[in-house]
Amino acid sequence: MSKKYYRFFGGLLTAQANWLNKMSEKGYRLIRTEKLLYEFEECKPDQVKYCVEFIGQKSKNNAENYHDFLEDMGYKVFYKNINLNYSVGKVRWRPWAEKGGRVAANATTFNRELLIVEKENDGKPLELYTSHEDKESYYVNLRNPWFLILLMFAVFAVVNRSVIFCALALICLIPVLAYQSQIMKNRHEANIKEW
Amino acid sequence: MRDNVKGGALTEVTFYILLSLYTPKHGYAVMQFIEEKTGGRLSLGAGTLYGALSSLQEKGWIEPCRDSEGRKKEYLITAQGKKIAEKELVRLNELVNTATGIVGGTV
Repeated sequence: MSKKYYRFFGGLLTAQANWLNKMSEKGYRLIRTEKLLYEFEECKPDQVKYCVEFIGQKSKNNAENYHDFLEDMGYKVFYKNINLNYSVGKVRWRPWAEKGGRVAANATTFNRELLIVEKENDGKPLELYTSHEDKESYYVNLRNPWFLILLMFAVFAVVNRSVIFCALALICLIPVLAYQSQIMKNRHEANIKEW
Repeated sequence: MRDNVKGGALTEVTFYILLSLYTPKHGYAVMQFIEEKTGGRLSLGAGTLYGALSSLQEKGWIEPCRDSEGRKKEYLITAQGKKIAEKELVRLNELVNTATGIVGGTV
């Protein structure tokens, strides 16, 4: 008996991972995802663990290589969209993406910005990045899209002398600052120790 | 990874990965090798391992190959990688000798 849930988490990656881990605690594991849909089947309580990773900056090749690598490692991996976008044939320029991944279309990484990674629970935490350098660059990848939107809203606010755009820019400042503090923390740690 | 190519000093992770790939291994086996040899002291996350393997491939120290069933991607150390590992072993021996001379060998 499969169970279907409809949820939207947007950019709240930790909230999404926490919810999936709660479902696992209740004895449900993910079998399928769609835009809003999460379909679960029954399993033993706490049998699996989840984490959610942002890969929107990767090119199609890099994303697929990484996806296959994780599957080879014995994890189950699902692609997930970060935004709600139903249009077909969309092409989006991503100035914050890595080389080779700057134009995202439906055939590439558009609507596949997140990976949901599932591993069998062996008592150890599911951590994809274990060095401070890697954690730092991961948070840089999370910060940059927000920073771009922040800049965009800030420019609109000045050009249009608009309070609304100013407020939107301030809202974008929250994730930018949150990720920035993680970046600074890990940069500091990386200076002191390798692990 | 900040491997000091000029001085020869490798990070512990890099050296362990190179050592593990003297026989072909896929990612999971590399992770197990490192955990086993360090008694669980070093435990690599999958993302960190992926980044390390990619950067070692770029340096030309390891290369990908297919396993016998042609399913999982395996990696193998290259001739250049072996040279780097040998140099590191010499450097570490020198360090151990110096340290033993000063600290004493009974530790």
